[in-house]
Amino acid sequence: MSADPLISVRSLSKHFRTFERREGIVGGLINLFHREYRIVKAVDNITFSIGRGDMVGYIGPNGAGKSTTIKMLTGILVPTSGEILSNGFVPWRQRAAYVKTIGVVFGQRTQLWWDIAVIESFKLLRRIYDVSQRDFDERMELFDQVLGLRAFLHTPVRKLSLGQRMRCDLAAALLHNPPILFLDEPTIGLDVVAKDHIRQFLRAINERYKTTVLLTTHDLDDIEQLCRRIMIIDRGALLYDGPLAGLKERLLRTKQIKFILRDGEQAPRLAAFEHSLSASAQNGLLHLERLDEMTCRLRFDRSSVSTSDLIRRILAAVEVRDFVIEDEPIEEIVKRIYSGEVFAAPPGPQP
Amino acid sequence: MGRIFRQIERHVGLFGAYFAQYAKVRVAYRGDFFITLGTSFAATLFSFGFVYFLFQRISYLAAWDKYEVFFLYGFSLIPFGLFNVLSLNLYEFGSTYIMEGKFDRVLLRPISSLFQVLFETFRIESFQEVVTGLVVVLWSARMLSYRWHALDVLLLAVFALCGAVIYISVFLFLSTFSFWFEDRIGVHPPFWNLIAFGRYPLSIYSGYIQFLLSWIIPFGFATFYPSARLLGHAEFRAYAPLVPLIAVATFAVAATSWRLGLRRYSSTGS
Repeated sequence: MSADPLISVRSLSKHFRTFERREGIVGGLINLFHREYRIVKAVDNITFSIGRGDMVGYIGPNGAGKSTTIKMLTGILVPTSGEILSNGFVPWRQRAAYVKTIGVVFGQRTQLWWDIAVIESFKLLRRIYDVSQRDFDERMELFDQVLGLRAFLHTPVRKLSLGQRMRCDLAAALLHNPPILFLDEPTIGLDVVAKDHIRQFLRAINERYKTTVLLTTHDLDDIEQLCRRIMIIDRGALLYDGPLAGLKERLLRTKQIKFILRDGEQAPRLAAFEHSLSASAQNGLLHLERLDEMTCRLRFDRSSVSTSDLIRRILAAVEVRDFVIEDEPIEEIVKRIYSGEVFAAPPGPQP
Repeated sequence: MGRIFRQIERHVGLFGAYFAQYAKVRVAYRGDFFITLGTSFAATLFSFGFVYFLFQRISYLAAWDKYEVFFLYGFSLIPFGLFNVLSLNLYEFGSTYIMEGKFDRVLLRPISSLFQVLFETFRIESFQEVVTGLVVVLWSARMLSYRWHALDVLLLAVFALCGAVIYISVFLFLSTFSFWFEDRIGVHPPFWNLIAFGRYPLSIYSGYIQFLLSWIIPFGFATFYPSARLLGHAEFRAYAPLVPLIAVATFAVAATSWRLGLRRYSSTGS
């Protein structure tokens, strides 16, 4: 993080007043006349800052407050309390001037004109954002190189595949070369190739224009491939803000060793090994699975057993042809965070 | 001052660009365009035909000659047509913009949100109402041996524009309710039906309705008072200078409600 952050957010909160909707026709009628309101803290006192040129992943389960945060950062929503200073603007106070300096992509919705050729949407956006013809041509050239737009520039948006449409939406959001780009689930519903396209493009833009990117996603591959930093939000509160590597270091609990037996004759020796494992498994997780005839997977708690110890034991017990040692997938870690298993209390200082 | 002019120039240019965008869509579906133009024209023709045949047996209505009634009817089509060209998004504002969230995208663009909602789509086939209205006005004026002066032509144009502003403002005002209430259909239909009241001499209605159409929902100022002035009905002469004022006032009310609605939207997001 640089000394002079491009986006700084302090004690930001957004509370909504909603009412409980009763079910059924009778409930609906009661709703008309009597409502019990309650306050929902969609975003509750979060503070962070983002430096110029950073790419930050913003994750959390559905309804955690990601979109509400993005809406406040883009000037759509006014916070209940707290401050945002983004690129020198208070977003909701100087909306028209501010939105000229940001690009926004909502993965679920397009900002292109549905019934006409893509290029027509770009031309109108050029006028809306006051982009000179020269800059426009230059950027279209770059977008075409990385995104391969030319092939479908003259196709109506409604006839594009989801991946093509997303590429166009990204280009549309970057036509005025904004220093900040907000992406709300940019890879949702895309296949592997399309996802890769999008990621490559984001990296290229970030390198070439030093565009600052904040992206929300449910796909942790996005984060692993694009972002060094990750912020996790749940129930309105920021649970983690730091490097992705740090999250693994802190929360990685299990590892797994996959090994392939040399031949079928190892079976009785494996059974004996399994028996000896269950005898020593009192302190923490130590779990052997047969994936198929020859392949086994041993999951274990890395805090209670050392990896090298286990390998020695395996080698002593059976003859092995091949080994793979893996970390717990990042999805598993995040799942544990969402389920409240970790960070149940506000995150304290790192050990 | 220069800044304001630049802003106006920019918005006029953008209006052209938005309209061109719309036109490209319509051209892409040419058959569709001709069919909607045809139905729109047929609808206008039938509703005027009803009045025309009705008045085959009636020569006067509340001291108005039947050709004066046709003149009024024809004139009312002009602001109404202009309004119909622009009003499509006003009906859909609650459902597509607010409930389906299209309004977020509007707020992410560096142009006035009202400008975008009004000009993101048009209904160009309704322009036939302006043309049909003009034809009916010219025809009934001829039957009345009306002598057009330059001032009359100018007044007709100004009145027609003011009338369109009044219609747009009233329905814009109704659309702003969507900022507060979720309702797909909206509150427009009863007011839409009220428009027809303005196509006949106000003097045929009771005082309450005259008051309603003049001072509450001023459709009378969009159609009746301007026609009365053009036709030289002296008893309504005093109302004519109020037409532009009423247009500005209704727009001011609608714009204020829009601004309040925006504030509400940005605090609730729904």
